[in-house]
Amino acid sequence: MKHSFQRAGLIAALSLFGGGLLLSWFTHGTGTVKDDPKRGISIPQQLTVPLQVQAAYNDKDIFFRYRWPAAKPGIFHDVVVYEGGKWVRKGKGNPGPEKDGMHEDRVAMMLDDGSVPEFARYGGYLAIGSGIASFTQHANGKEVAAQPHLGKKLKQEEVTKSLPETRTDLNDWSSVQPESTLQAQRQAGYFLDLWHWRGHRSNPIGMSDDQVIAEARLGDEGKSSATGNWDGKTNQPQWMFNPAKTGYKALRWDDIQSNKIDQESVYFLREGDVVPFDPQADWKDGDTLPRRLLRTPEGSMSDIAVQGKGRWADGYWDVTLTRKLDTGHPLDDKILKDRGAYALAFAIHRMATGARWHYVSLPVSLGLERPGDIVATKFATEQPTWGDKWTQVELFYPGQVSWPHLNSRQHAGAPNIKKGQPVTTHHSVEQLKHYGIEAEFAEEIRRQWWLTLWAGVLMILAFGVAFHQLVKRQPGA
Amino acid sequence: MAPYHVVLVHFPIALWMTATLVILFRTLSDGPTAKLFDRALVPLLSLGLLSGIIAFSVGLMVWPWETISASALGRNHVLTASWTIAYWAVILWVRQARGESVWDGLSRWVKAGLASLGCGLLGITGTLGGHLVGIYTDVSTALRQLGWDVYTTFYVPDSTLIVLLLISALLVGIGVWAGRQKAAS
Repeated sequence: MKHSFQRAGLIAALSLFGGGLLLSWFTHGTGTVKDDPKRGISIPQQLTVPLQVQAAYNDKDIFFRYRWPAAKPGIFHDVVVYEGGKWVRKGKGNPGPEKDGMHEDRVAMMLDDGSVPEFARYGGYLAIGSGIASFTQHANGKEVAAQPHLGKKLKQEEVTKSLPETRTDLNDWSSVQPESTLQAQRQAGYFLDLWHWRGHRSNPIGMSDDQVIAEARLGDEGKSSATGNWDGKTNQPQWMFNPAKTGYKALRWDDIQSNKIDQESVYFLREGDVVPFDPQADWKDGDTLPRRLLRTPEGSMSDIAVQGKGRWADGYWDVTLTRKLDTGHPLDDKILKDRGAYALAFAIHRMATGARWHYVSLPVSLGLERPGDIVATKFATEQPTWGDKWTQVELFYPGQVSWPHLNSRQHAGAPNIKKGQPVTTHHSVEQLKHYGIEAEFAEEIRRQWWLTLWAGVLMILAFGVAFHQLVKRQPGA
Repeated sequence: MAPYHVVLVHFPIALWMTATLVILFRTLSDGPTAKLFDRALVPLLSLGLLSGIIAFSVGLMVWPWETISASALGRNHVLTASWTIAYWAVILWVRQARGESVWDGLSRWVKAGLASLGCGLLGITGTLGGHLVGIYTDVSTALRQLGWDVYTTFYVPDSTLIVLLLISALLVGIGVWAGRQKAAS
């Protein structure tokens, strides 16, 4: 072979091989991860969001202050809009941001006093059981409704957050423990207290939803701060604004869409301030009514209030919630004590998202005048004076990672969970924000990875063939 | 098997890194010392490949396939380890089959490039193995800055796979053509 041919062949082979390597480098990770509404998949562009938290308490009450970024305030949940003679619901919810921009902003905080020891190690992952709603693989609504405890007794329509020991089989959402066991678990404190501030369904009346996670995500005993404003028989709202008080009987859809609704205005329906819906009123296209009626909560559900006003300004929500240290409801709430140590985990919803399309935190420790990730300082007055010292908590999009998956053979860390090693021993937010997404495309990514591996091996060997033939044969070799 | 894998990987790492130094030295020098080192290259590469295959095989037994193939770090570790072995197998094959001719002309630089790539892949493979057992290095930070977050699986889209197959076919075609040229001359 002539030297020039050999040189040209080597350059050609090198160009092809180098081109293949560069192409692989610049196209890797593309083509597979994409929104897929049919499978309930919507990946946020931003995978992490910072949350700032402060805590303080006095002899009676504890206060948590939360601050997080949001491009605009989500102060509406779902509404009904008058269109062509009919009331049309907007804000029903869908994977990712709601298509009409409806769905309230939220901040949630799970709290435990050590009665659920795994919570301090794994946070909210613990509460993601099999069949949970909004996962690609989720329990059928009819089956949930037919389940004797969840469906028939608790009137659940979907599988919500729950704790693993409330099931006899981790991999079977319907294997609920007998009621006597559930009651004993509750008495023993095997539940998570859930503080759940809602931008529309609680904040306008200065309250927070108060919930509990046990065999399901349930409301505390009592009456909630919101109920429906819809009559399914007549297909129209039940209540409307009182024009005598507000000057209008409905909002305008255009004003909502263009963010012209002032947070200080009356944009919500509140029991006592509304009048029965008048179907004969001169309704015009675009007239809009909230699909929820706010009311004063009662019982254990009324334990958590907003201190001052929860308001959005300059791109940030600033919300402070307060509750008695001892609410007197030990079966719904974690009773807090001076110098106590607790575990927390946070979540926010923003950008008109609901269900699992939120940002969550890893578990965070709370100390009441004792060491912790968040230290609640004690003060002697009625209300705290907040300084500038915040605890920074990084929230991340969790994807579809369930507790059964984490305890399965598919998770290399399952033995570590059995040993009781905390999630932070082997994982960081930096990792988990990606792992959640990879879990949503597990099979597709596995396939592409496998093909990529062999394509790479093939190309290396093929280059070897070319290189081998292009090298001048050694005499006698 | 994890402790055995950790012990075993030291052998291919040491052998291949030494081989890289020898190749780079021989690429840059035709002196007697470089030639002396080069004579040890085939044994070095052979032992490296053998110990690499053993370490790889034992590594596959650390976790069940169902587990390792479900983890981004696990997949990446397997992928880079496979490519590392393939690179070094090619380097050994060509050196063994073509003898000192590989140091002629452009070939020596190709050899140096392959060794550098193989060494780089070896380093990445080791880094990923460290991540799997919770020992982190800044190599992953460097890779992130270059465009690959090691906490995401390395895979390419179907269109790239097709191009890679075409490239592989063309490379084999070049090899066949070169073989015929040789036979004719």
